[in-house]
Amino acid sequence: MEVLDFFFNSLVFPGLLFASLIGLLYVGIDRKVTGHMQHRIGPPIWQEYLDVGKLMSKEDITPHAAQSLVFNVVPLIALGAVVTVMLLLPVYSAQPALATVADLIVIIYLLNIPAICLMLGGYSSGSPFGSVGAARHVVQLFSYELVFILVIIAVVTRVGSLNLTTVVGYQAQHSWLILDWRLIPALIAMFTSIQGKLMRVPFDIPEAESKIVHGAMTEYSGPKLAIWRVVYDIETLVVAGFIAALFLGGPVAYTIGGVQIPGVVDFLIKTLVIVLITTTLRNIMARLRIDQALKFYLTFGALLAIISLVLVLVVP
Amino acid sequence: MTFVVPFGPQHPALKEPEYFRFEVKGEEIIDLNVRLGYIHRGIERALQERSYLHNIYLAERICGICNVAHTTAYCQTIEQLANIEVPDRARFIRTILCELERIHSHLLWAGVAAHEIGFNTLFMFFWRDRELVLDLKEMISGNRQISASNTLGGVRRDVKPEYVPTMLRVLNKLEKETKYYIDVCTSDRTILARCMGVGVLTKEDAIKLCIVGPTTRASGVDVDIRRDDPYAAYDEISFKVIIEREGDVLAKVIVRLREILESIRIIRQALKALPRGPLRTKVAPKIEPNEALGRIEAPRGELLYYAISNGTDKPERIRVRPPTYANIPSFKPMFVGGTIAEIPIVMASIDPCFACTDRVTLVDSHTGKARVVSFDELRGRRK
Amino acid sequence: MPKILLTVVKNIFRKPFTVKYPYVKVEPPEGFRGAPVIDKEKCIRCWLCIKACPDRAISVNKETKKPSIWHGRCTFCGECAEACPTRAITMTKNFELATFDIQQARSE
Repeated sequence: MEVLDFFFNSLVFPGLLFASLIGLLYVGIDRKVTGHMQHRIGPPIWQEYLDVGKLMSKEDITPHAAQSLVFNVVPLIALGAVVTVMLLLPVYSAQPALATVADLIVIIYLLNIPAICLMLGGYSSGSPFGSVGAARHVVQLFSYELVFILVIIAVVTRVGSLNLTTVVGYQAQHSWLILDWRLIPALIAMFTSIQGKLMRVPFDIPEAESKIVHGAMTEYSGPKLAIWRVVYDIETLVVAGFIAALFLGGPVAYTIGGVQIPGVVDFLIKTLVIVLITTTLRNIMARLRIDQALKFYLTFGALLAIISLVLVLVVP
Repeated sequence: MTFVVPFGPQHPALKEPEYFRFEVKGEEIIDLNVRLGYIHRGIERALQERSYLHNIYLAERICGICNVAHTTAYCQTIEQLANIEVPDRARFIRTILCELERIHSHLLWAGVAAHEIGFNTLFMFFWRDRELVLDLKEMISGNRQISASNTLGGVRRDVKPEYVPTMLRVLNKLEKETKYYIDVCTSDRTILARCMGVGVLTKEDAIKLCIVGPTTRASGVDVDIRRDDPYAAYDEISFKVIIEREGDVLAKVIVRLREILESIRIIRQALKALPRGPLRTKVAPKIEPNEALGRIEAPRGELLYYAISNGTDKPERIRVRPPTYANIPSFKPMFVGGTIAEIPIVMASIDPCFACTDRVTLVDSHTGKARVVSFDELRGRRK
Repeated sequence: MPKILLTVVKNIFRKPFTVKYPYVKVEPPEGFRGAPVIDKEKCIRCWLCIKACPDRAISVNKETKKPSIWHGRCTFCGECAEACPTRAITMTKNFELATFDIQQARSE
């Protein structure tokens, strides 16, 4: 039974199938809302499914100049990493699907794997655009990751535990951490950080299409690009779920008028709100240069996170 | 250590194929070479093969975006050549069409620039409002883009009185939106971060290199053919020449956006003062030996036509000097000293139109030699 | 940023500016220069249209001895319609001219 459970968890719910279905839908919603914000119709919200399906049906090409092993394997590794994070997040209750001892540090590491895979894919693609994109990715990773980790440290210091389940449980007992004024700067820093993590404007520098085509993903096409898109979409969901767990109290099951609403609905609502906030952010700004992004993260972003950390430590 | 970064002929930041070699030291650009001629189409030679009337449609296709500018300049030059007076109403209609085209061209450019800096929302807004102008052009001339309105000795289509209320309504809307864009572009932090102090062209450089159009007006050089050498009906209309002093990309954005406001004012005046009368005068197909030079202010700057006639119905020679060709030298002072990341927006800032530029001369700046490729040679290559 | 944020949020609740083109058609205005068509009954074979055409898109059909316009070369300038003394050539509002059959790219 345990083995079956594990397979069900990792492949169906909340693993690959659920995560990709919801992730693709969320990015579809993101594109639709972006369209309306820009005063146009935009694609239908299921467009992302169509895109991935079409890419899947295309010929699989490995460029002649590419290091074929690395180039072909990294999308799968990235997919594995994001699906694993999905298993470690509280999706239907405070308890994640993979009830092991994995804590926040493991999630931080796993969330970095797609970025590292993308870098490797870019460097191994043998294309100058891929290399430039990968190099910018490295710079960007080092800038936003610092802010990301500082925010998590602030939250962890506030709660006093490195375990995500405990963080969610703490919020269920007391109140959501978003309501704690000492963590507001950290929340703002978190949103700037995930704009970089999800490569959205103003920090979509590694794939700035007017300069370096599609960055590290330039040489990817067909099914491999489809996997990258799924990875990106699941990553969007995962990061939103992670913030929901850290600040919005994670999934909570309600009973309204005698009807039991499962925790997963709460999870979906909270993550959608977070995705829509990032959508709005990406539509009201211009892309920064890589040096400006670095400066922004290392001064403004890090400063906000540190303010929160200090407030948590100093103010009782 | 320096190394060379090739930029083009195929590059996502370039909408048309051109080749640039940037010598860079780290991130800093220390030198730049330009090689033009990738989309040479042999138009100047082809202009000698067709009659004056047919040439209008060929000149129109030198540049799709500034087609009215090209036909106006062409017709004006040929009218000088044949000593034809254009009726008053035709002059005013030409002015209206030229200014509509200026608005649409500037909005198009602003959209491209916004896209270059990754601001897709603003890009969509600019192009949404450009659609309004295109609808006006469609209403007046019968086509959104290629107007085919100008002809030798006048214009082919009238601006009917029933168009005027629609036009005024759309212009009012555009004016409101443009003011909003100027507001956004001067206050948005991310736009300022990308555009301010980037790609600076000083006034001295602009004068020394004979830069034209909004590019030079953004550097504080007071040049505008519409005022300095009035054509069409510009001598009967009052308007300001927009000048900014900074010379950076932001100044170029602001100059163009403020020029849209000025164009709206010009169109309003022209609509009000539109005189009655015929639309065109008759032109004999053959023109006595003569030579003429016509210049107008195209959206991108001074556009120059030079024509020689030889007594037949075909021109002996027509030379076109489009504004982008004059503006290419400005790349050097704008790029050198900047960083690689600035290349796309600075390149876009002169509103380059390479299809206009590539017609006859191949300049190999690597060796410094200029070479003219004949039509026969081009044909020979194709065989 | 705040200014554009306001507009962006407002736009969500406005009707989109764009239309779903192939499904929703926008009628071109009066006087639109679309594909030219020839009314063979009116044609008097003066061949002024052939002289007026800057693209040499009009040729004479050898069998019927009537002009025919090839849209592949036509630039839709409308000179032929202006030149025609009997108004046999008119510019229609049809601009959707893509076709798989080269014979259809011709106004006979």
